[in-house]
Amino acid sequence: MEQFAGAVRLISRLCGYFAAALIAVSVVIVCEMVFVRFVLNENTIWQTDFVTYSLVAATFIGSPYVLMTRGHVNVDVLPLYLGARKRWWLALISMLLAMAFCVTMVVLTGGYWLEAWNQRWLSNTMWRVRLWIPYASMPIGLGILTLQYVVELYCLATGREPPFGMGKERRA
Amino acid sequence: MRASHQFPGGKGDVRDDMVQMVAREAKAANVDLDIQVYPGASLFKAEQQWNALVNGQLDITLFPLDYASGQVRAFSATLMPGLVRSYDRAKRLNESQFMKDIHATIEKAGAIVLSDAWFGGGMVSKRGCILEPNDVKGLKFRAAGPTFAQMWQSAGASIVSIPSNEIYNAFQTGVAEGTDTSMGSFLSFRLYEQAKCLTAPGTNALWFMYEPLLMSKKSFDKLDKKQQDVLIQAGKKAQKYYEDKAESVDEATIKAYKDHGVEVKTLTDAQYNQWIEIAKKSSYAEFAKDVPDGKKLIDEALSVK
Amino acid sequence: MSPSTQGVIVLVVTLAVLLSGAPVAFGLGALSIAFIVIFQGFGALHVVAETFFHGLNDFTLVSIPMFVMMGAAIGSSPAGKDLYEALDRWLYRLPGGLVISNLGACAVFAALTGSSPACCAAIGKMGIPEMRRRGYPDDIATGSICAGGTLGILIPPSITFILYGIATETSIGRLFLAGVLPGIMLTLLFMLWTLFIIWKRGFRSHALDFRYSWKQKFQSIPKIAPFIVIIIGVMYALYGGVATPSEAAGVGAAMCVLLAVLIYRMWAPARWWAILRDTTRESVMILTIIAAAVLFGYMLTSLYLTQTLAQAIADMHVNRWLLMGMINVFLLVCGFFIPPAAIFLMTAPILYPIIKAAGFDPVWFGVILTINMEIGLIHPPVGLNIYIVSSIAPDVPVTRIMWGTIPYVLCMMLQIVILCVFPEIATWLPDHLMGITH
Ligand code: NA
Ligand code: NA
Repeated sequence: MEQFAGAVRLISRLCGYFAAALIAVSVVIVCEMVFVRFVLNENTIWQTDFVTYSLVAATFIGSPYVLMTRGHVNVDVLPLYLGARKRWWLALISMLLAMAFCVTMVVLTGGYWLEAWNQRWLSNTMWRVRLWIPYASMPIGLGILTLQYVVELYCLATGREPPFGMGKERRA
Repeated sequence: MRASHQFPGGKGDVRDDMVQMVAREAKAANVDLDIQVYPGASLFKAEQQWNALVNGQLDITLFPLDYASGQVRAFSATLMPGLVRSYDRAKRLNESQFMKDIHATIEKAGAIVLSDAWFGGGMVSKRGCILEPNDVKGLKFRAAGPTFAQMWQSAGASIVSIPSNEIYNAFQTGVAEGTDTSMGSFLSFRLYEQAKCLTAPGTNALWFMYEPLLMSKKSFDKLDKKQQDVLIQAGKKAQKYYEDKAESVDEATIKAYKDHGVEVKTLTDAQYNQWIEIAKKSSYAEFAKDVPDGKKLIDEALSVK
Repeated sequence: MSPSTQGVIVLVVTLAVLLSGAPVAFGLGALSIAFIVIFQGFGALHVVAETFFHGLNDFTLVSIPMFVMMGAAIGSSPAGKDLYEALDRWLYRLPGGLVISNLGACAVFAALTGSSPACCAAIGKMGIPEMRRRGYPDDIATGSICAGGTLGILIPPSITFILYGIATETSIGRLFLAGVLPGIMLTLLFMLWTLFIIWKRGFRSHALDFRYSWKQKFQSIPKIAPFIVIIIGVMYALYGGVATPSEAAGVGAAMCVLLAVLIYRMWAPARWWAILRDTTRESVMILTIIAAAVLFGYMLTSLYLTQTLAQAIADMHVNRWLLMGMINVFLLVCGFFIPPAAIFLMTAPILYPIIKAAGFDPVWFGVILTINMEIGLIHPPVGLNIYIVSSIAPDVPVTRIMWGTIPYVLCMMLQIVILCVFPEIATWLPDHLMGITH
């Protein structure tokens, strides 16, 4: 299990790098588009599609990394006011809830991806993107997110991580 | 049942009127049909409606069929430069082999057509009137869809892609200098405050878009014969309503543009033919390459008198 | 089951799930799927994946990571320190000059970033330790930064304006312009309050005989020049025909990264990664909530709950200002628990038709909504900025920070009232520059 957790954390970290790279490339492409249009007065057809789909992909693929680094905002009023034991149970319930969502979405987005792949869907934009490429980011990202949740659950169950990451020190 | 469209609700948009009309007729017929209309893309985004429709999650919709051209490539023919030419010819086109083929494609994909409706449009420019291919040379042009973009690009325009809610802003600041869309959108985008010239449909329109009133085949098959007939009749009525009103919608746009001192022109036969020559080399050729019977579809449409 | 019964069930369960501490995005997503299955059956799940994807499939959203990146780039460089130091050299003779400088720096920084946490962290990191070192009371030192940070979403660029513009199809450029004057006014209100309280407590930041020479004053100017250049650059891109609002964000982000690298010599890859990491974490967080909120919105509309609520409010036929008051209280209560981006996404589509029907200007309402969300950022229990400031000054008790923010909450409420009496403060600039289109 320890090795599994290590492997998933590594994958989540790589996902974070990948999402960051997509965002960085998007900034460059937006500037390129403005330059090509404003200075060169030439066609800018693929850039908006590329940037839009890159950021969608960055969101889904980056999600496990953000979960690992506790970046997904939550409402922590109740956990803050609960005692240690109740807080642990609440953490377990909320994790299972989020995990149920992730698993369901992996199935649903996987099916959606398959439809796009089988029926060769294209975007209705000028660039005619093969939609299975951006759609793939959903089952992949949410799949790794599910694995990351398994690790979080393991850490909670074995006491490696305090519930809601609320240790002795105040969280940021 | 649920009907959805992307146009403003309850404000006299003719497309909203058509959907509401079908909902009203269905209710009035007393055959246990209750249609809830969700206007303004409040339920589904415009481009989501097709999938929802063929999956049976949406029962009725009215939308530009070209939006589904990524799923069904042949639908690009419904937003193709120069295929329709005028409202009179649109009525003849509706009876042609071309439309029989389109209807068959729609049905094969999982929807049936309740009303045919062709919406005329044109071009506006900040620089001058767009009449001949030369007029778009070097113009920053925002195109309604891929097929038109191919023609403008082939004529020497610089294609820019801008989301529709930023068009006004883009026109004002000069990020875009020309665009093509339907006459209804020209009015709602308020481009008359920024444009110099509008090319209106007239008798030689390049720009026509097919926005049918569609019903999900899955939902339709669940109804009994009586209910189906009611909906088909309501669809016919909505189509007639639109056909009677189409040109007055365009006139409202023309008036708004003229009132704001914008020049309004239409194309002559010679100018129209120049564009068709460009379209043959660009949009039509691409379409024929993409779609197996694409060339046949274009030829069928062009052969209508 | 009638829509109103369904509505009550949805409301109660939603509050319970949000309070459970599950991430807002996944909580909303789980709720949406659960209610879709319960009320419409498994077949209705067919549209979920597509709705989730299409929630993000919009080029306009591109500006969110870009504006976050602007903040991250500047925030991780010493630029914030330079900015408030320069302001301090000019303002030090005022009572509470350092607080005033910090608020001013927040306002300038707000013009460079679209998000409040970025603004709060960037100025607070330098400002709070400095103020406390010079003996300012903790509540004023921390409270002012909490409040100043919120200006990030009122002074353009602003992520909440972008979200509002997308949700209601209101011009984003117009919304940005509408935020300028209220943003400046609110900054001045913050400053006035600070002047007053500092004067009342008889506190001075420098000894009476302390002087900065004119030379020192003028030497500080080049340090804020890069800020001015970037602000002018982005404004020119926005209003000079170079770029659309979404693209201007990208240009601004690139300019800020260049500034960090060229002027502050941030060559080390680790520092590049720090900028990118912060950008990725905050953007992914916001965008995930957006996708989930779109799904949640679909569920509400699909069950006819949104329309039922809007209709119920319309049927009450209350005075429009009473309606506006009720909406603001409702938003404030939401702001107690839910982060601003999520509130915006969940309520804008519901409130927009009500606002339009009552004859309010949607652009003006976007500004009101934003100030209201700013209150939520510094209001207990879920004030994001409070936690950011608390992480900068861990030894100040959270309750003390919260007490420090209360006067600024009152300033914001006053600003809302002023805007209700004089809506022109918000609408004049966009109307003047972009023409009246409504
Ligand atoms: Na800002
Ligand atoms: Na709050």
